[in-house]
Amino acid sequence: MLFNSIEFAFFFPVVFSLYWLCNRNLKLQNGVLLLSSYYFYSCWDWRFLSLIILSTIVDYCIGLGLKNGSLSISIRKLFLWISIGINIGLLGFFKYYNFFIEQFTAAFTLFGTSFEGRTISIILPVGISFYTFQTLSYTIDVYRKKIEPTTNVLAFSAFVSFFPQLVAGPIERASNLLPQFIKKKQFDYTSAVDGMRQILWGLFKKMIIADNCAEIANTIFYSPADHSASTLVLGAVFFAFQIYGDFSGYSDIAIGTARLFGFNLMKNFSFPYFSRDIAEFWRKWHISLSTWFRDYVYIPLGGSKTSKAKQIRNVFFVFIISGFWHGANWTFIIWGALNAMFFLPLLLSKKNRTHLDTVAQGKLFPSMRELVTMTSTFLLTVMAWVFFRAESLSHAAEYFQNMFEWSLFTMPVLTSKVSISTTLILLLIFVLIEWLGRESEYAIENIERLLNRFLRWCFYAIVIAAIIVFTPTEQNPFIYFQF
Amino acid sequence: MKHFLKHIILFSVFATLPIALFLGLTAHLNPNIVFKKQGGHLYSRINELTKFPKVDVLFIGSSHAYRGFDTRIFKRYGINSFNLGSSSQSPTQSLYLLKKYLDDIECEKIVFEVSPQSLSSDGIESTLDIISNDNMNWRTVKMGLKAQHMKVFNTLLYSAYIQLLNLDADFSEDKIIGKDTYISGGFVERQKQDFKKSTSAPYKINQKQFKCFEKIVSLTENRGIELILVQAPVTSLEYGMYENSTSFDSTMSAYSDYYNFNELISLNDSVHFYDSHHLNQTGVEVFNNRLIELIH
Repeated sequence: MLFNSIEFAFFFPVVFSLYWLCNRNLKLQNGVLLLSSYYFYSCWDWRFLSLIILSTIVDYCIGLGLKNGSLSISIRKLFLWISIGINIGLLGFFKYYNFFIEQFTAAFTLFGTSFEGRTISIILPVGISFYTFQTLSYTIDVYRKKIEPTTNVLAFSAFVSFFPQLVAGPIERASNLLPQFIKKKQFDYTSAVDGMRQILWGLFKKMIIADNCAEIANTIFYSPADHSASTLVLGAVFFAFQIYGDFSGYSDIAIGTARLFGFNLMKNFSFPYFSRDIAEFWRKWHISLSTWFRDYVYIPLGGSKTSKAKQIRNVFFVFIISGFWHGANWTFIIWGALNAMFFLPLLLSKKNRTHLDTVAQGKLFPSMRELVTMTSTFLLTVMAWVFFRAESLSHAAEYFQNMFEWSLFTMPVLTSKVSISTTLILLLIFVLIEWLGRESEYAIENIERLLNRFLRWCFYAIVIAAIIVFTPTEQNPFIYFQF
Repeated sequence: MKHFLKHIILFSVFATLPIALFLGLTAHLNPNIVFKKQGGHLYSRINELTKFPKVDVLFIGSSHAYRGFDTRIFKRYGINSFNLGSSSQSPTQSLYLLKKYLDDIECEKIVFEVSPQSLSSDGIESTLDIISNDNMNWRTVKMGLKAQHMKVFNTLLYSAYIQLLNLDADFSEDKIIGKDTYISGGFVERQKQDFKKSTSAPYKINQKQFKCFEKIVSLTENRGIELILVQAPVTSLEYGMYENSTSFDSTMSAYSDYYNFNELISLNDSVHFYDSHHLNQTGVEVFNNRLIELIH
């Protein structure tokens, strides 16, 4: 069930009504959320509900096991590794089994021996990478004694499967989300209106920006050899906006939906394309995953408080597994490695935390220096996105090969029926609104303060009308569902 | 909560006017509304239908049908026919058209053009074509709502509005649109032109379309109409990209008489086609003559 589908338009009001009808009984509310989340997930494939339930049971029991204060360190470690083993084992099997078999076969063939590994037809369960990391964060935090293990199985199950963020994040930490399932909720008008506003903006990003850019990007990426170099650059730029609109749009809808149920999810995007260097970009892009890797992988490895050689190792390791998390393909690994290469000079020169504020804070326009640094950072990410979008390394190589030709200095040409000018105008409006709202949680958050109710409602109506008018015929599922 | 719900309702009422205004003002710039004159000549075809109360053969299917079955060639062999094909027509729309018009047009045989594309289609393009060109009734509304697509909803609303206010009373479709010429009886002719190569992705059969296909088979059986399934020829380049052609052929053969013309006639991509999957008039002649031999 997609957020931008008719099914969800029926599902959501029903769950919302039931949830708030039960607001005197927290258990009942959690029950409603749990059942609706299971139903939401089973709309894709009910068989994989068993994986969520298994993951829930394992981590709940291990949490209870770790509650026992008299356990020795080695037993506590054993419990932790059981949880990691089961969760990562399931993820590894469903997501990476075939990839590793293929790589082993290729490697053995290269050395002149044969390896009889058989690939099998495996369906990747939607959202497995997201809920696996979420439950793992619970066990690790309990193990580190950062949070108390819960004895409330209903609340824990609802935390693992909470439908707004179940299939594509944000990847929540137990320390933030779990207590919210244990606390009684009161309907808050301001928060609910804010949630609705964020949902609207998320739909705009997904249905107008991402889906329109997708039409152009798909056409260009489908056959790089048939397009001029400048058109290929344009295709990569459109893909950059597609993936941003798609994923941050999803996050906005998820956060907004959760707000309507009285939950506060963590911010997942913070206007990353207005970053002045790659380090800033990674503090603002897919924040819930970046901070997950920072807290549970990078810092335990020593982070930046270690020798130079280990710093380099840590950065590459984290970026590469972060890339690999996205999918079992060399393109994601190269994408991760490329970002590590972009990031490393900043880390080694200790400039990775230069830009902790918002660009041009309190000003309408950026300075020339800011403009240049933002543009160059954006172009670096665009280059890396080519690997992310490409079907294979040879596809990416073909794309790059055709991108660096003399036709780079010609006007881009698109022969498809896709209206490029309309998309460009929409993109321009979108970037302008995002720029004006870059100091808020999401672009149109401050509209409440800036406009009176009449103008505000006119603005919302125009956004709705724009969605109706400019949604392309071809509807694309959210990109991150495949991860 | 009451306050919140009250505001949601008030906003819904309030928003109707700006949204309607916005849609009205941008109607002709709106990429999400389909108007008539989009090509395919379905408007002319539907309007001509009443002139053909009784035919020997009725053709249904996608552009492969209305560009592939030339009613004039069939006439030469003494076969009266009418072509009810439409742009990207998938089994959902074929079923819709048959249910709506089969009472008005008596026929002995139905030649149903089937292909992996039409059975894999989401049917949106065809639904839009029909809604914008056909006279609306509850069946049209039902089909539009089932599509669950913004563009279809917009077009449905716009067409209802146009029809209710009788705003297109003066509309008449040109016989020649671009390179296409409408021929009485539903055929659309395109003469030989430079062959344009294009590529397409592999097809995956859509179960919803397959169910509609099965309903068409039952419908014709119940009415005692002979059903002939035809896969129209496409370029060898295109046909080579189809996966599981054998399995598609055996599935189709299980339902009725079935002819796959990619296997039955030998055509030259650059001589008989104007793009990767549409015959030009030279190709149509070869295809239709062979079809008549087989079914007559």
